Amino acid sequence: MRPAPPRVRLEEVTHRFGDVTALDGVSLDVLEGEFVTLLGPSGCGKTTLLRIVAGFERPTEGRVILGGEDVTRTPAHRRPVNMVFQRPTLFPHLDVFENVAFGLRIAGVSRDEIRARVGRALQLIRLEGYEGRRNYELSGGQMQRVALARAMVNRPKVLLLDEPLSALDLKIRLEMEAELRRVHRETGATFVYVTHDQREALALSDRIVVFNEGRVEQVGEPDRVYRNPASPFVARFVGDSNVIAVEVTSGDTVRIAGRAMPAASDGIAQGAAWLVLRPDVVRLSAPRSGTGLRGVVRDVSFRGTGHTYRVEVEGLPDPIKAEMREGRTFELEDEVEIGWDPAASPLLPRAADEP
Amino acid sequence: MASVAEESQRPPAARRRGGGSIIPALPAAAGLVAFFLVPLLVFAVYSFLTAGLYSVSGPLTLDAYGEAVASRVNRTLAANSAVIGLATAVVTVAVALPIAYWLRRSARRLRIPVLFLIIASMFASYLVRIYAWRTVLGSNGLINDGLRRLGLIDEPLEFLIYSRFAVTVALVHIFLPYVVLVIYAAMAPLGAGLFEAAQDLGASSRTLWRRVILPLMAAPAASAFLFVFILSASDYVTPQFLGGASGVTLGVQVQVNFRTLGNYPVAAATSFLMMAAFLACYLLSALVLRALRLHDIRFVN
Amino acid sequence: MERTQRSPFTATVTALSLLFLFVPIAVVVLFSFHSTGGLSFPFRGFSLRWYEEVFSSPEFREASVNSLVVATATAVVTLLLGTLAAYGLSHSRSRLRGPLALLFFLPLTLPGLFIGLSLLVLFTEVQIDASLATVTVAHLVYVFPYFLLVSLAALNRLDVALEEAGADLGANSWLVFRKVTLPQVWPVLVGAASLAFALSFDEFIITFFVIGADSTLPMFIWSTLRRTVNPSINAISSLLLLVTLLLFVISFVLTFRRGRKRRGVIGGEELMEQALAGDPIGGRT
Repeated sequence: MRPAPPRVRLEEVTHRFGDVTALDGVSLDVLEGEFVTLLGPSGCGKTTLLRIVAGFERPTEGRVILGGEDVTRTPAHRRPVNMVFQRPTLFPHLDVFENVAFGLRIAGVSRDEIRARVGRALQLIRLEGYEGRRNYELSGGQMQRVALARAMVNRPKVLLLDEPLSALDLKIRLEMEAELRRVHRETGATFVYVTHDQREALALSDRIVVFNEGRVEQVGEPDRVYRNPASPFVARFVGDSNVIAVEVTSGDTVRIAGRAMPAASDGIAQGAAWLVLRPDVVRLSAPRSGTGLRGVVRDVSFRGTGHTYRVEVEGLPDPIKAEMREGRTFELEDEVEIGWDPAASPLLPRAADEP
Repeated sequence: MASVAEESQRPPAARRRGGGSIIPALPAAAGLVAFFLVPLLVFAVYSFLTAGLYSVSGPLTLDAYGEAVASRVNRTLAANSAVIGLATAVVTVAVALPIAYWLRRSARRLRIPVLFLIIASMFASYLVRIYAWRTVLGSNGLINDGLRRLGLIDEPLEFLIYSRFAVTVALVHIFLPYVVLVIYAAMAPLGAGLFEAAQDLGASSRTLWRRVILPLMAAPAASAFLFVFILSASDYVTPQFLGGASGVTLGVQVQVNFRTLGNYPVAAATSFLMMAAFLACYLLSALVLRALRLHDIRFVN
Repeated sequence: MERTQRSPFTATVTALSLLFLFVPIAVVVLFSFHSTGGLSFPFRGFSLRWYEEVFSSPEFREASVNSLVVATATAVVTLLLGTLAAYGLSHSRSRLRGPLALLFFLPLTLPGLFIGLSLLVLFTEVQIDASLATVTVAHLVYVFPYFLLVSLAALNRLDVALEEAGADLGANSWLVFRKVTLPQVWPVLVGAASLAFALSFDEFIITFFVIGADSTLPMFIWSTLRRTVNPSINAISSLLLLVTLLLFVISFVLTFRRGRKRRGVIGGEELMEQALAGDPIGGRT
């Protein structure tokens, strides 16, 4: 049986603003029913890509194909997609009901059907009874939920979400994440989500697309991207990992800061490499005699779930970040020995002249 | 060169809309071309023609300009116009500054009512104001009458009416509200925490004024000054009613040339000479501001 | 908002200026009710006779009607053309924006003398007779920049995301304008139109040149002023003041209205500041 065409396909999408290249030859497939997150730092092009899918920008080069149909030239209001914006852009002159019904009215849906569908949409976001409220009577989280309903009520093939939670308080954000997951499950729609918050991306997505400076660095399931980053950038951005320049001396040893430490082979036989050390994989212990890696604690912060340390190591340009949930705790200026599980710390290729 | 990061981080409302067409603006543009640019052009051509009685004829000549420049009367009137224009501009700006400052820094709850009043006064009809000042300044008017009753004077004060003073007073009355609004808007930073921020950094009030407020206000104040100067200097109605013999201006002369004497070319030439003088003032002001690097300061809140 | 600062000097200047602005006008209004014709104190009793005299004058009635007609025509045409122009300027990235804006705002910088004279010259050349129509055309040229200033500031302040949301939900440009932009912006547009009406109703400097045998109210006042010192001028002036004050109040309320009910709609004060700060094209492109 032939597989269904991807719900969204981007072919070699390039976009330039003047002499700035926002997107450089991006190709991507989003499958039906997926929750895909475009993740990256500010300015990496992820919002631009979303807006191109929505139809608010036309790509300088490349094609946008929705469900097999080329929509590159189709204006925004005719595309079968809907968007939830970063700030709740509810129409201030309309109440909740009319806001949600907006798209349906434009489409000429019958009055009865409008009432039914708006009712179900409000049920979906658990705001039944709020039909008559105006935007100034709603909290930020409620407004975003209404915006979500307003988009979903049109049964879009693809729902685009542009950092919809970034303007909300942390606690509300966490609740909304659960809401979004639930709505996604219950409706089976395809979600394309944009955020710079890697924690959010890891929590919500079926697949993550990591962007950097207009290019895709890695595409994969959250687990893979987190544990097996494809590049130093992804390692630093997604896992907040330590990325350390090392020399591979043999199949299972690397030289780091002048010491020899065990490592997983990862297919790099010899030479320059990056060692990716996730902070939660690093183990700090009291210094023992021996040739292990030593360092001095320069910063301690308590996070409720554990401690985060920054350990300065002679010979390394940046401190090593370590997260420890159990075991003994350390204080500023303590000398520690640093260890880690080589199997959980991949090596990445490094050009010899990269610092 | 704005980076992509800057472009996407701009506040959403400031992100430029695109994709719309400029076509809706074209009908109005066509109207203005037809009824503003073209008439000015025709009027300019008139200034190069020869005068008939209430008519013009070719060939093109500079006679009208020569006549306009040579006329002794014109030079006196030009001086009059300049004096009145300058006096009006100086007084309005000088008075507007304290008012705007008060509105920004001291007014509190009175701010909106006073602003309302000031804007409301803009709507009093032009002619009504002239008439009102004639009533107040006249020899039997409010001031003279009041002073006489109080025994302070025997004869009415001459300079009050039918003088450049009277014209200036009336013009100030007309333009003051506008200038107050412009300067008030330019003083926006004063109401937005700028004083406190600067003090926190160690700046005295004087430093703040010298280095921040005055530079911020230079361009708007200059443009308000010019606006008032040009409109006052070219006014032709106020001098007729309040100027008497000594308060006649160039604008009056232009009007007389045109309507009464039917000498279109000279009227046109005088008008364009006035315009050239005004343009020179604009350019001078722009150059000075640019030289002082005060021309593109903008406060963004 | 920061701590306020007491300043008796500036407060005094403000108070005196307000007196300066309103006393002459108040005097005129006061004396319009004066039972005798005198224009000096003491005040000898109230009477409406000057108003009666004014209203019974056919020239006055005709002039008023003419003014109303011209002002209405001016306001309506300005509203239509001006809204279109403001929409075009604020929604387009065309390179014509700059030159067009320059063209639109140029009449503001020229004294009425020039505008009036040059229009008269044009009409003479093209052999169009002076009439209320020529007056309306002149008023349109004069009034247009003021309307545009206010309406452009309002359209530029509108959150782009709202219009994008409308488009995203299926509305084309016209529907977005009708269902998203207009509901937010119409008070300002109507306010600006009534500003246009008031400016036209009051206009004298340009009208003087392009008018024919008909009279408008300001022209009527002017000719009365030139003839005699007739106390009924006080009454006429007061009536004119009343009309324009009313229009101003309407304009002010519509343009500067704030309040909870309109959160998300343009705030009046920022609007005024943007308009006055001289950045009519708006945005920091």
